[in-house]
Amino acid sequence: MKLTRRAALVAAAASLALPAAAVAADLKVGVNVALSGPNSSLGIPYSKGMQAALAYKGEIAGRKIQLILLDDASDPAAAARNARKLVDEDKVDVLMGSSGVPSSVAIAQVAKETKTPMIGLSPIAIDGADNNWVVTVAQPTQLMVDAVVDRMKANGVKTVAYIGFSDSWGDLVYDALMKAAPSRGIKVVSNERYARSDQSVTGQVLKIVALHPDAVMTGGSGTPGALPFLALAERGFKGGVYGQHGLINPDFIRVAGASGQGALMPTGPVIVAEQLPDNYPTKKIALDFRREFQKVNGAPTTDAFSAYSFDAWMVFADAAERALKKGAEPGTPAFRQALRDAIMSTKEVVGTHGVYNFKDGNIYGVDQRARVIVKLDNGAWKLAQ
Amino acid sequence: MNATSRRRALVVLVVAAFAIAPLVGSRFTVTLLNDVGIAALVALGLVLLTGVGGATSFGQAAFVGIAAYATAWLTTVHGASPWLGLVFALVITGICALVIGAVTLRLGGHYLPLSTIAGGISIAIVFGNLESLGRHSGIAGIPAIRIGPWSLIDPRAAYVLIWILVGASLLFARNVLDSRPGRAMRGLRGGATLLASVGADAVRVRLSLFVVAALLAAIAGWLYAHKNRFVSPSPFDVRASIEYLLMAVVGGLGQLAGAVVGAAVVLLLKNALQDVLPLLSSGAAQIEAVVFAALFIALLHFARAGLSGWAVRWWRRRWPPASAVDTAALAGAEPLPRRTPPARGTRILEVDGATKRFGGLVAVDRVGFVVDAGEIVGLIGPNGAGKSTMFNLLTCTLPMTAGRVRFLGRDVTGRAQKEVARMGLARTFQHVKLRPQMSLLDNVALGAYARTGAGVLRAGFRLDRGDELRVRAEAWRQLERIGLVQRAHEPAGSLPLGTQRVLEIARALAADPVLLVLDEPAAGLRRREKDALAALLKRLRDDGVTILIVEHDMDFVMRLVDRIVVMNFGQKLAEGAPAQVRADPLVQDAYLGVAA
Amino acid sequence: MTWDIAAILATDGLANGAVYLLAGLGLVLVFSVTRVVFVPFGDVAAFAALSLAAFEAGRTPPTIGLVATLAALAAATEVASLARRGETKRIARAVLLWGVLPLVPCALAWLAARPGVPAPLHVASAVLLVVPIAPLVARVVFQPISDASVLVLLIVALALHFLLSGLGLLFFGPEGSRTQPLAGGTLALGGGVTVSGQVVLMVLAALVLSALFFLFFERTVAGKALRATAVNRVGARLVGIRPARTALLAYGAASLLAGLIGVLIAPVTTMYYDSGFIIGLKAFVAAIVGGLTSYPGTAIGALAVGLVESFASFWSGAMKDAIVFSLLIPVLLLRSFALPHGDEAEEEIDT
Repeated sequence: MKLTRRAALVAAAASLALPAAAVAADLKVGVNVALSGPNSSLGIPYSKGMQAALAYKGEIAGRKIQLILLDDASDPAAAARNARKLVDEDKVDVLMGSSGVPSSVAIAQVAKETKTPMIGLSPIAIDGADNNWVVTVAQPTQLMVDAVVDRMKANGVKTVAYIGFSDSWGDLVYDALMKAAPSRGIKVVSNERYARSDQSVTGQVLKIVALHPDAVMTGGSGTPGALPFLALAERGFKGGVYGQHGLINPDFIRVAGASGQGALMPTGPVIVAEQLPDNYPTKKIALDFRREFQKVNGAPTTDAFSAYSFDAWMVFADAAERALKKGAEPGTPAFRQALRDAIMSTKEVVGTHGVYNFKDGNIYGVDQRARVIVKLDNGAWKLAQ
Repeated sequence: MNATSRRRALVVLVVAAFAIAPLVGSRFTVTLLNDVGIAALVALGLVLLTGVGGATSFGQAAFVGIAAYATAWLTTVHGASPWLGLVFALVITGICALVIGAVTLRLGGHYLPLSTIAGGISIAIVFGNLESLGRHSGIAGIPAIRIGPWSLIDPRAAYVLIWILVGASLLFARNVLDSRPGRAMRGLRGGATLLASVGADAVRVRLSLFVVAALLAAIAGWLYAHKNRFVSPSPFDVRASIEYLLMAVVGGLGQLAGAVVGAAVVLLLKNALQDVLPLLSSGAAQIEAVVFAALFIALLHFARAGLSGWAVRWWRRRWPPASAVDTAALAGAEPLPRRTPPARGTRILEVDGATKRFGGLVAVDRVGFVVDAGEIVGLIGPNGAGKSTMFNLLTCTLPMTAGRVRFLGRDVTGRAQKEVARMGLARTFQHVKLRPQMSLLDNVALGAYARTGAGVLRAGFRLDRGDELRVRAEAWRQLERIGLVQRAHEPAGSLPLGTQRVLEIARALAADPVLLVLDEPAAGLRRREKDALAALLKRLRDDGVTILIVEHDMDFVMRLVDRIVVMNFGQKLAEGAPAQVRADPLVQDAYLGVAA
Repeated sequence: MTWDIAAILATDGLANGAVYLLAGLGLVLVFSVTRVVFVPFGDVAAFAALSLAAFEAGRTPPTIGLVATLAALAAATEVASLARRGETKRIARAVLLWGVLPLVPCALAWLAARPGVPAPLHVASAVLLVVPIAPLVARVVFQPISDASVLVLLIVALALHFLLSGLGLLFFGPEGSRTQPLAGGTLALGGGVTVSGQVVLMVLAALVLSALFFLFFERTVAGKALRATAVNRVGARLVGIRPARTALLAYGAASLLAGLIGVLIAPVTTMYYDSGFIIGLKAFVAAIVGGLTSYPGTAIGALAVGLVESFASFWSGAMKDAIVFSLLIPVLLLRSFALPHGDEAEEEIDT
């Protein structure tokens, strides 16, 4: 008799304890970016942005959010391995990353197979219809390049030469340029490429200058992106030199120096948040982000990449809140499904780069509000709408 | 427990551990082990190519890439089955390896690693610039491997396939090394002349090794493409090749298992660092590379032959290997076909007006002599007489400036050394060219290279056992002949110099030669050893082997040979029976400086 | 391709060739004396360049910490090996030589990081600061395994490169830097072609340093000792030359060369923490053309690589490296046939 009563008490206690344990389950975010290797100039800002986002919003509906950060050393195979580790061992609810197109595609593959939602931080070369577990907060390259080409047309450019990285970013920008230019009556006269690690682009630039184009479009990012600017200035090129949002980086400004003066490029509005009109939808949260970043990292944010991390976090937070309301528990496949559904029905979530609306079939979720044209003037970016 | 059963128990233990792993480990552990398996295949190719063949290659990742892209292209663009992709990948990679190897393997020394770096960089760049291969974004959506109704998307299912392939490759490699082509491959480090002297072509042997390593990398590439279902150029560049070489070195280039050990150590260590370092520091990711490199360097300081080399040394110290010999099987083997020895007195070798000029220096000046069947001829002369050059001329190691050499009635002037070797001319070397890490039996068996014909495929699939037994029996017989049979399984490097010279003679005899040419066999021998050698050579002569000895120890030669040819300053000084030559005043003048 | 384009490409190629020449000399020097292919050479150059950039940005270069740590490690290693041999009397001197002496350039650099220091002093400090790196690293990493096979030494050198470039990322971050030109102005070469003063300086430096190299090897005893050790290690020991000491000299000279290269190219090239690898690789190509033993051959190789690279980038920027490295293969084949190397047996694997 005694035994059965004790057993019954234990069972009752256990059954009370279990739901309690479940209620305390944290939300887990698995982030994989390149903290070393050639893509680390994007990866390190991404990770700093994540830290700022965690400090800004560290819990949702009473649940704490845990951030797990892994390095893929710019290797897609390592990215895939890390993604599997995050899903299998750490049981994350959402994957975020990476800092290069091949690594992002690798993670997207894992996301689809393990049925884990993924929020990308850069453009990803996959089809939303193929893989409905992935979205990205980055602006589609076409959206940004369209703005540049429109500006070129307004400035009377008829022929443009292209010089970009010999990697997937250079490919993306070139493809977007080729799609946008003909409809504006602009002819693309060359497709020069250089490697990130090259020390000189003299040969490529000589070829470009010999063709006498009206303008040059560059497809690099970070400090190696400054090389065409320097070389063109050295050759005395007088036409306009345009860039894209991969160049928004303080080190680019530092290395390009005087040759970058007057360069025009598209970017998310967060870069010039203070210069935006007060009624611009993203202004308030962009300033909040800047303040948080300064607090957490001890230095002001000066690049666009860390802001993408913040936006991904915001999208996740909004979707997680809705998924939790449905009653699913974090760490379970049911929750991941609910989270995916919530992400795919995101409506008007305001981030620092733009306003997000996601739906099935398309991994991008921004519109015109996510881009502005800026000009590099005396070492600072100025809004040039 | 004796050595063989202890080794067998170890193998069973290891196989059991690998079999249990997917059932016990978490999904991620299995994924990690799959990556280890794929890397182990590439590392195995390097253990063969660099460890056995001595050719450092920085291009293995390029071969992985070629195969991965080949199967990716075929299965996505043309919708073919992954198994067809495997065949396609192997064929394409094999052809590329043949072409690249044919061009670059002739380069020796440091040129080979550099040309593999060149190839590796170029191939990765080509991948990134071809439109049909997705340029830098690569190819995605590659289908998974299917066996019947089962798809191998689940890591546990893929584990079985991957590790079966690894096991099969290890067995194949072991079979190849333990056979005729394997002996030639293990002889590569001894130099091209050594292989030519037994009738093998060093360039072809190296090329076959190169292709085998490339095909192993191709299998790895196929597995990589269908496991990740996505390929891009960056995992196949020079840095990846360096990492594979790192794995092979850390695992141990001297053992086949080193490939698996190395791959496991590198990948598991990286994973462990990824888990541990964030607990110690916030800048963990950048520190990981530093800590990994530091640990790696420390490991190489401590175990220079790699971890498996260290383990084998420890194993051998703890349990010294007993030499178990299966004499019964060897005795029952059918002997290899022998050449009909030419009748006594037939002209075997005829040298006519041989001349060799090195720039302005005439090392050999119109020397001519003959060697008939059944006699021992000595070629003597003081230092600098040109004996060694003459020796190299008549074995076709060096090309003649003028003159003719006829061997067994056929003109062999200008032929390659290995052709003459196959015709029945066996030689030894002044500086012994044995393989110190191969056993005595294997060293002698290398001499019989030209007498059987099993290639890499037959050897790998163990279809050459009959031939192998016969070759080993032959080697055994030669060892008996020279009195070394009780040490047949010891490494040749453990012998004293004099015994090594005698072992080289056994190797030459294993070729069933018509003419045996010995280069200063008595050099460095003690009195008793010289007597034993002389007795051995006389026995051989009585058995019907014709011998030509190049020597400069007068005493040794005089008591042994039937005829002597004397050279001085590149010219023939005298020829005839020993007593006659000894009495010749020109000879005395040359050796002693004064007419006696 | 017009004449002035060709002239510009040629001068660009010559300037790069000058850098590869100096790096190639350093690599050949170290290899011939120690049989080590010193892959981290480029990393040392990158450290010098980035330290100079740090000076110019008003920061104290973290390289100081690296050199100090290496000095401590080397001193500890030396003391341990002396203690094991029982030569305790030489410990004090060893600590002085290995632990204290390398701290002198560290102190100098720390002083140079103060505001108001003139630019030439920055340059000199950056160069001197990296000079101890190679000898210290060699003492800790290479000397204990100096009799290992060439392949093991190569693998260790590669691992060391990863270690140093990893430290570079940690210290200097992933972004690159350029420094102020050491020589301003331009030089008109006639026909409308001008070259910047910096390029002239680079070519001049290469010529002067090569000449100094030549003089050092031909005319000084230390230089002859280096050559002797390169030709025959055992023979050199027999005449009283200490291989360990000549090795140190070789590493020190290589470090100095690397430092000079670093500060020379930093104004014209954006230097990153991993720029060293590709520079080292192309210098290695140049050294191989010289057979890893001949300095004039290395010079020819370096010029060839620089020029081919420059013209290849005009022809196809993306495939430039593929062209440079693929053209290498026929060159190697020619070289291999022209000078038939003896049928050397390969080294055995260590067991």
